[in-house]
Amino acid sequence: MSRPELTGHASSFYNEKEARKYDSSSRMIGVQREITERAIELLRIPEGKPGFILDVGCGSGLSGKVLEEQGHIWVGCDVSRDMLDVANERIERKREGVINAARKKQNDDLDEEKMQDDDSDDDEDEEPCASTGDLLHHDMGSGLPFRPATFDGCISISALQWLCYSNAKGQIPKKRLTRFFSSLYQVLRRGARAVLQFYPETAEQAILISECAAKVGFAGGVVVDYPNSTKAKKHYLVLTFERAFKAPEGLSEGSLFGSGKRESVRVDRKANNKKGKVHKKKWGKTKDWIVNKKDVQRKKGKDVRPDSKYTGRKRGDRF
Amino acid sequence: MRLLTHNYMQSTVKGTERGYPLKIEATKIEFEASPFDAEFIQALLPKIDYTTLLFALKQISENGNADLAQTIIPELPESIKEDGEGEVDEALLKKLHTVMFDIHVVEGELVCPDTGRRFNIKMGIPNMILHADEL
Repeated sequence: MSRPELTGHASSFYNEKEARKYDSSSRMIGVQREITERAIELLRIPEGKPGFILDVGCGSGLSGKVLEEQGHIWVGCDVSRDMLDVANERIERKREGVINAARKKQNDDLDEEKMQDDDSDDDEDEEPCASTGDLLHHDMGSGLPFRPATFDGCISISALQWLCYSNAKGQIPKKRLTRFFSSLYQVLRRGARAVLQFYPETAEQAILISECAAKVGFAGGVVVDYPNSTKAKKHYLVLTFERAFKAPEGLSEGSLFGSGKRESVRVDRKANNKKGKVHKKKWGKTKDWIVNKKDVQRKKGKDVRPDSKYTGRKRGDRF
Repeated sequence: MRLLTHNYMQSTVKGTERGYPLKIEATKIEFEASPFDAEFIQALLPKIDYTTLLFALKQISENGNADLAQTIIPELPESIKEDGEGEVDEALLKKLHTVMFDIHVVEGELVCPDTGRRFNIKMGIPNMILHADEL
């Protein structure tokens, strides 16, 4: 199965059909919920203090729902209109739920008045809260359309990697990433944090993302949860304004990274560390092997050039 | 789109001087009550731009929304006065809550005050996608 990012623009992948499929998949809901809860945990907002949070790449509002449950107000942006429409429907359903619950309470209150019963608090827990989220149809690669120092925090769930692929003429990933991060730097309040969960395809991608974030002035690092499991492994780019930031431990064995961006990113655990290794020719192409092969050919009776000091010498690159 | 969100939005089109606050040309607005938390609104007050809020309210009261607007938009003072302890009267907090959270612009347009660039609002979602030459 290829990555969705390789198929084209995010808004064409997340079309109406895909958006519905995404939003109704219980597995997807579960995974996204878990990731969102972890991201909110990494945001380190004081307990019980509601904040104004930006959700980048909010999609169908799965992450927004978790933000709401924790008492925050949020604004979500997404480039796919179809996903936003699905999110809207969820908000509509909630709205109807609130209105119906309010009506029910009114009727119950009327009944209770007749019975002269003072205890009308029973329904409070069952009443659904109206949605506290607003949606924006917007491309994060073109910046964020907000005043400086607007948000108390920012989360992004499984969206950032889309910036690494160029889908239109003139779209350069590095430029879009830089534009996004510098815009994010401005719209966050001082002391706020951004936690962006993403799926890097390669180590280079993760490094590119981290470097772009560092260039605009963010401190922080990548926290990797469950680094040993291909399925469960999750990367969270945690960005702060505090220069002395120390990235928290990832879950499970925990890969602790320092605040340096380059060394903090390790996507492929099997990546070769070439430091100190002598450059060796690939198996089969050493001088010994060549001489041996020539001997074998000679024994077969073939016409072979005599060995000399030039046999098997290193030739320069072709181009 | 709530007025709270509008309070923070600005246009980031290339060459825009400031792009804030965006004018609202609302063709359809809705009202939806939400739970009120006095403490939260009190804490939110210093962070919003009150002048912009009043400006936004005035905007949505025009354009044929006047009738609905009159029924749902409460009267707000020119500026917020705090009492001795820096706290605001709860009745006023409630009105502010209604204005910021319960009024939704469902259809309409946002207009940049500097460049006149229009951003469409459909089903409550403003379209802020920029064209290639606006970046």
